[in-house]
Amino acid sequence: MKKKQSKALKDKSKDLVEILKKHGAQVYEDLENGQFPKISIPNRSISNIIYDKKLRQYILGSGTALRSSKNTSQLRSFTQLIWLAFFANKLTQQKKSSTLRDVYYSSQAFEVDFEDQGESDNIIVDLEAVLTKPREEFYVFPEERSSIFGDLTIEYTIPGYEGKKMNLSDHPDGYAIGPSLTSSQLVDTSAELVIAIEKGGLFTRFIEEKVDKKFKSIILNTGGQAPRSTRTLLKRLHDEMGLPVVILTDGDVYGEHIAMVIKSGSANAAHLRELTVPDAKWMGVWATDIDKYKLPTIPMTESDIKRCYDLQKDPRYQEGIWKKELEVFLKIKRKAELEAFSKYGLTNITDKYLPQKLELAKSL
Amino acid sequence: MSSKEEFNQISPSEFFYRNRDLAGFSNPTRSLYTAVREFVENSLDACDHSGILPNIHMTIKAVDPEKPDPKQYILTVKDNGPGIPSKHVPLAFGTVLYGSKFGLKQARGMFGLGATMAILYGQITTNKSVKVKSNEDGKTRYDFELILDIQKNKPVILKKEEKSSSEQGLSVSICLEGDYAKAGTKIRDYVYQTSLITPYATISFDDPKGEKFHHKAIIRVMPPAPTIIAPHPYGIDVETIRRMLVDTHYQIPNVDDKMIEKIRKELGMTKKKFNYNDIMKKADKKWKSLTRPVRVVIALMSFLQADFEKLQRIRIEDVDLRNNKLVYWDYSTSQTIAVDMETENPYYKQLANTVQGESLIHFLTKRFQRVGPTAASEFCKFAKFKTETRVGNMSDQELVKLSDALQTYEGFRSPDPTCLAPLGEIPLEKGIERRFQPDFMAVVQRTASAYSGFPFIIEMGIAYGGNIKSNGLKVFRFANRIPLLYDEGSDVVLKVVNDTDWGRYKVRSDSASMVIVSHICSTRVPYKTVGKENVADRPEIERELRLALQFLSRKLSSYMSKKGQAEMAKKRANLYSKYLPLIAQFCTELAGKKKEPSYQKMIKEEIVIEEKTE
Repeated sequence: MKKKQSKALKDKSKDLVEILKKHGAQVYEDLENGQFPKISIPNRSISNIIYDKKLRQYILGSGTALRSSKNTSQLRSFTQLIWLAFFANKLTQQKKSSTLRDVYYSSQAFEVDFEDQGESDNIIVDLEAVLTKPREEFYVFPEERSSIFGDLTIEYTIPGYEGKKMNLSDHPDGYAIGPSLTSSQLVDTSAELVIAIEKGGLFTRFIEEKVDKKFKSIILNTGGQAPRSTRTLLKRLHDEMGLPVVILTDGDVYGEHIAMVIKSGSANAAHLRELTVPDAKWMGVWATDIDKYKLPTIPMTESDIKRCYDLQKDPRYQEGIWKKELEVFLKIKRKAELEAFSKYGLTNITDKYLPQKLELAKSL
Repeated sequence: MSSKEEFNQISPSEFFYRNRDLAGFSNPTRSLYTAVREFVENSLDACDHSGILPNIHMTIKAVDPEKPDPKQYILTVKDNGPGIPSKHVPLAFGTVLYGSKFGLKQARGMFGLGATMAILYGQITTNKSVKVKSNEDGKTRYDFELILDIQKNKPVILKKEEKSSSEQGLSVSICLEGDYAKAGTKIRDYVYQTSLITPYATISFDDPKGEKFHHKAIIRVMPPAPTIIAPHPYGIDVETIRRMLVDTHYQIPNVDDKMIEKIRKELGMTKKKFNYNDIMKKADKKWKSLTRPVRVVIALMSFLQADFEKLQRIRIEDVDLRNNKLVYWDYSTSQTIAVDMETENPYYKQLANTVQGESLIHFLTKRFQRVGPTAASEFCKFAKFKTETRVGNMSDQELVKLSDALQTYEGFRSPDPTCLAPLGEIPLEKGIERRFQPDFMAVVQRTASAYSGFPFIIEMGIAYGGNIKSNGLKVFRFANRIPLLYDEGSDVVLKVVNDTDWGRYKVRSDSASMVIVSHICSTRVPYKTVGKENVADRPEIERELRLALQFLSRKLSSYMSKKGQAEMAKKRANLYSKYLPLIAQFCTELAGKKKEPSYQKMIKEEIVIEEKTE
């Protein structure tokens, strides 16, 4: 199992370098022939985003936009895209991680004239779309804000740590999900379950209450909406280690959607695959739980309510608990946070609520 | 049609003295400017009409430079024009309303009274005389020193000298109260703009501060001079018709010594004394060669059976055709006598025709421009007049009816523009080119049009970029080759310019360096005020201005888009030469190659292509 995974990862990196080289060679050839090079980029506008029922996620339609170096209004962004490919190639080959902000500042050594970071971020998404690969694969990582804890042994692949193993239950604060963790091999685990939780505070409580041991689980803090590297890790835990994923969020419409994004992605990342865990389960806090567990509540705001109506139009909210809970939220117009359980004692959530919901999740 | 007596009665100089504000002499600032204008324009007009390329030199000198403004200045304007006959000098400069500008043709000043007003103003404010030096023939110069007798409207000659001089032309020098500190800008603008619209003139100006402005002539050809023509029916009123009727050959001539001399001459009877019968016989023989006035007098003599001696003793009072009576006053007997006129008398018809005046159709075709026999008879039908109606018999009501009909009838052809003197497209273009050296310029001369019977022509030029200093749009307004400097805001030209949506013509009027030169030529420019500084918005004029401006704007627009394309091409070439090397660098490394692709020719080709389309 270990060997197989290792190979797959190497292939991935090699794959990316190959694709980049192919694009580079095409541009080179065009210039050599006195042709203005151009590149076809999948259209990421809303009109080209469609929901694929089979894949259970949003994908891009067949629409593409041609970016040509002959067109003076596209020349700059074309150059920027080629620069980014060049830069991504370097990062990948040297296994050097960077952030969106790093990319923006790195560009300034090359006079490719990004006006602001927004513009360079946009080009990064363009490259993702061209390659159909998330930026983490070309070593552009988000700021670390999510973390993981539990009995999971990993083996680093980053330079200087190659082959070094590590168990993620050794440090009681958990481990930040950064580039080295994301790019490491998943070696072994005794866990039977991944619990993704929206909030850092509850993550710490879960570690303190030894939820990992009690429920044979890996605990993962998404830090709000899960970053894509975290989602990739969740997917790998599910696919490579065969672990089911359950999600615990605040009892509001945003929490429901955090779960949905882990399960089936976002429209923003419609150009990417392999970021979703279609089998992941949202186990709470549901709108129906608010009444059931007599949780203290806060009234929903105008924007909460608007968000409910917006999500009702989303094809993924047309059935099951997704549809039902949304309707209840709209009916009661109140919401409850995970911390609301503290009214009944700090361990109430791990002692009472969690076991019940885990039991229930099995039947979902 | 001008005679001194006629106008003396209308307006004595005292009237102007009391109403000097009307003529632009309201305060020291305005007066100095107006005086400059009047003299310079008189000089230009004089040169124009004599076909001399004008060379005008003006100086303004403070009498006491240390004094604060307003103070006394000496204004001298010297030209190379035809000069004024020495016997006319005192009258021309010492009498209000003495002048020759009463015909219907385009001239800068209207009546030539402005110069006298300036002299009058100078005399009132400084009590100093005017100095006039006139040299007609390039041999003798007559120097005058004059003052005006305001009450009598008569010149008083203080000094007259004769000198030999080879320089033809006229020089006028007055002393007046002025404020150059305030008027200076306007005067310099005036000189500058005058040179712009008179590119065939050399105009120099030495100002009181010692600065010298010299505008040399740009072209050596003068535009054709205007001709004097008959009035157009649209421009007529009852008073003008009445004057036209009086000013006619169809009057009973005044029989004085001169007339008798003329008759004798025509009959070939200069030597001896002749009696009545001899005269009649001779007249009968020579009838065909006699002039009209002589014929009329002969006719009278036949009815009165009078010889020359008797004729000199009487005055004809009335020719009553209804009762066929001839009434006259006899000086020797001091009584009125009426004699019957026999209709069979062969001279009856001659006399009757004379008294009744010409037929209406004849009057219309001969005395107006653009009226042929067909148009005249069509008009008579329209106005319900008989074509053979004698104009001399028409009552006051009929005259009013005639005048009204002339202005409402739409069948007349538009006025004859030969009385106009537009500058012409080429001189205008040269003038603009020399002054502004613009990146782009276009000029247009519209065909003649007319408003209420007065013909006019619009000339316009537009210039963009180059040496134009102004930021934004600057409009130079001219009327009959005079710059209009005051009251810009209410002028019809400004209205038309401001109505234009410059964005449509790819021009940013607030930031572009742009000049519009507008010239209205007309026998009567419809000024809004007596100050003659802004033109009223007559629909016909506004329309022509609009069409001229649209024509020019379209040309500018096509220049601007070409310029835009060229700029785009340049920009594009710049972009290519900036980014293509970067693309080449990145893709070389991406593709794992060692040598960069040969993209250089792509940048060069792109520039070449763009230069061609330009």
